[in-house]
Amino acid sequence: MTSVISPEATGSIARPPMLKVVAFLCNWCSYAGADKAGTNQLAIPPELSVVRVMCSGRVEPTLILEAFQKGADGVMVLACHPGDCHYKEGNLRAFCRAELLERLIPQLGVDPLRFRFDYISAAESDKFAQITRSFVDGLSRIQKTAAAR
Amino acid sequence: MSANDRAGRTATILCNCSGIISGQIAWDQVQDHLAEHPSRPLFRVDDLACGQDNLEALAEWLRAEQPARVVVAACSPREHLETFRGMMRKAGLNPYLLQMVNVREQVSWVTPDPAEATEKAERLVRGALERVQLHTPLAERSVPVQTRVAVIGAGPAGMQAALTLARAGREVVLIERESFLGGLPVRFEELFPHLECGPCLLEPLMGDILHGALSERIRLLDLSEVAQVKGAFGNYILSVQRRPRYVTEQCIGCMECSAACPGRRPDPWNTRGELAAIQVPFSGALPSIPHIDAASCLHLQGGTCDACVQACPVEGAITLDQAPERLEVEVGAIILATGALEKEGVPAAFAGLPDTLSAYAMERLLASNGPTEGRIETPEGRPPASVAIVQCAGSLDPAEAAYCSGTCCQAALKYEHMLHQKEPALPVTRLVREQVAPGLDAAHLAAHGSVPVRYAGPSDLSVEGAGDSRLIRVTSTGATVPAELIVLCRPIVPGAGTPAAAHTFEVGTTPEGFLAPRHGLSAPCTSLRMGIYLAGSARGPGDLREAFASGTAAAGLALSDLVEGRDLAISPERAEVRETDCSGCQTCLPVCPYSALTWDADLRVARVADLLCMSCGTCVAACPSGAITGHGFTRDMLRHELEGVLA
Ligand SMILES: Cc1cc2nc3c(=O)[nH]c(=O)nc-3n(C[C@H](O)[C@H](O)[C@H](O)COP(=O)(O)OP(=O)(O)OC[C@H]3O[C@@H](n4cnc5c(N)ncnc54)[C@H](O)[C@@H]3O)c2cc1C
Ligand code: FES
Repeated sequence: MTSVISPEATGSIARPPMLKVVAFLCNWCSYAGADKAGTNQLAIPPELSVVRVMCSGRVEPTLILEAFQKGADGVMVLACHPGDCHYKEGNLRAFCRAELLERLIPQLGVDPLRFRFDYISAAESDKFAQITRSFVDGLSRIQKTAAAR
Repeated sequence: MSANDRAGRTATILCNCSGIISGQIAWDQVQDHLAEHPSRPLFRVDDLACGQDNLEALAEWLRAEQPARVVVAACSPREHLETFRGMMRKAGLNPYLLQMVNVREQVSWVTPDPAEATEKAERLVRGALERVQLHTPLAERSVPVQTRVAVIGAGPAGMQAALTLARAGREVVLIERESFLGGLPVRFEELFPHLECGPCLLEPLMGDILHGALSERIRLLDLSEVAQVKGAFGNYILSVQRRPRYVTEQCIGCMECSAACPGRRPDPWNTRGELAAIQVPFSGALPSIPHIDAASCLHLQGGTCDACVQACPVEGAITLDQAPERLEVEVGAIILATGALEKEGVPAAFAGLPDTLSAYAMERLLASNGPTEGRIETPEGRPPASVAIVQCAGSLDPAEAAYCSGTCCQAALKYEHMLHQKEPALPVTRLVREQVAPGLDAAHLAAHGSVPVRYAGPSDLSVEGAGDSRLIRVTSTGATVPAELIVLCRPIVPGAGTPAAAHTFEVGTTPEGFLAPRHGLSAPCTSLRMGIYLAGSARGPGDLREAFASGTAAAGLALSDLVEGRDLAISPERAEVRETDCSGCQTCLPVCPYSALTWDADLRVARVADLLCMSCGTCVAACPSGAITGHGFTRDMLRHELEGVLA
């Protein structure tokens, strides 16, 4: 198959070694949004590894910390928009945990920009492409600064 | 290969998706790199794994190979997880020993560079290979369902739903907060678009609910509201609070009691005048048994009055000592048909003005069983010199209701028509912002040459003068409209009953407060909660055609989801507390959105009621002791998946 996306459009050529980015996506909105990015053939950073969970509320903070321990350069948790969670309020739990993590990880020496919590609806494939791109770009900037030191 | 070599391998099916996947991902490279993986993958590349013949062939291959676990790298699990679980069953394998990798939507379609796509696919397949090692066989279970259905609200939509269900042989519990059936339109003398009489249209339905063959299957709980809902689709338990009527079914409807009653209350149905404490809300209300309003009854307020009991010719028909009841009702599905109402209050230009009616009050004024027996009079009892009907009085106004209520134009045309018939010489003018009368049969409503006066918005109107010389001025055009009696068609809003139902039944609402459908276009009568369906104007303003159609639709949905003898499959991918690890901290109890976690006070452990668990995993993530297993998404499965993708 020839892809409709031209490689130039992605601006992600020659980046060895690839950054390691994990994104926890809830099945009902954000994962569906990521699938839609696929049907729309939008470029998504190849660094991204999606872990599907039923709800963002399933993701415990320790799992995110473990991802960093296991070598992730960045971790994302993407949820349904407030009010849209398939299980009513799992995303609100996820939001509270994210707030906690944002304050906790600098204490562990992890740059807070390496973690991102956001909302993606099943329709927001463009937003999914855009925020994963900008997150990964941010991570490579962090990496470059660290390398320059 | 000997049986021993095969044992414990992970069958790994790599789908080409007819070239869509294999065009971007070099499967041979992935196989090379993962050949030595400890999960001992047994690869098989398939050109289109979801194809019917290919599925059969794959199932046969799996049956022969008997792998310990299976990974399928193909399209989104949102599309084909159930398909491949079916393949597992056919192969005699437990369907939960499967993990899918989404290499179409989330790799080949979104990764333009084939080398990067291949690298990403390899990572994700490795994650799945490691995760699936922790999968355990899960047993699918099913439970019998309760086929009885509860219908909340006995307006046209609820009555239609109840009767449709009863005709299919279903038992129905019809729960209505008022003392009478029929909702709003049973109080309307005539209905648009054909100017039929409201009670006449609804009486056959009310009759079928109260007497006759179908009534045997419909249990009417009037003066009742649901206080609490437990359970889930297939097995709901409703706790119903029923207020006493203080009058039994022995009543013959002679109304001697009302005539004798000294208690008085303002008449909420007619919006003017008074009612006795014991009375029917309006003549013709069904069941035609009066009801005592406890707040205005001298006896129930602590007095000794028993005038009604004395006047009643049937001994035992009035029971002043009747107590409220709390009933438990078991049902499998619920239909919410709690309706909508006109918004209270008036726009600023009309604040504090006398002789101003809501559209509802106009309906009652036109009704032969209304406060004036259908004579057109101001609240002071004078025949008005002119009538102005202000449409969109609050609608299309972001400060009140940004939407068009869709029914008021036709209602206003109806009032104009009826007023002309009653008082041909009475000047009647409609003021409109927009005029909407859609439908094949609505055009004739305006056919009597009605020409409305246009106005631009709420601040465009002002009222001048008083009494028979009062007028409404339209500032933008300078037009003036004689307006001794003013009818304000207010926006249709959820009222009080619909938000109460949304809260109790925990179904979502739209930003305007109506009950939210699962999908506005394709699932307009399905709520966000499994087994709860929506009908009538509780979903948003609508006319009777919509109320009847959606009542039928909601009943149809309940009938097709809840079938006698068809048990309900319960997903085994649910949460389970390992009691030995539970520290009894109770953190999980409040986080469950479904109250599925219960507290065993004797053993001091939490438990999951598996019928209620919807498998979101929130409690699994919240448990500080790690004592809750989220089957299908355990902590260890996710850890291994992370290890695989990060390796
Ligand atoms: C002024 C006016 C004039 C109209 N004129 C026409 C017309 O001429 N022609 C036409 O086609 N349509 C007309 N309509 C629209 C019509 O009234 C609605 O389409 C219809 O009432 C919708 O029926 P329903 O069963 O959904 O709701 P409703 O008729 O509102 O009935 C809802 C029922 O639910 C009960 N209830 C509410 N909350 C609870 C609760 N929590 N627990 C238990 N019970 C509850 C209520 O007491 C009520 O009996 C008019 C509407 C208005 C406001
Ligand atoms: S299902 Fe998406 S956040 Fe809960």
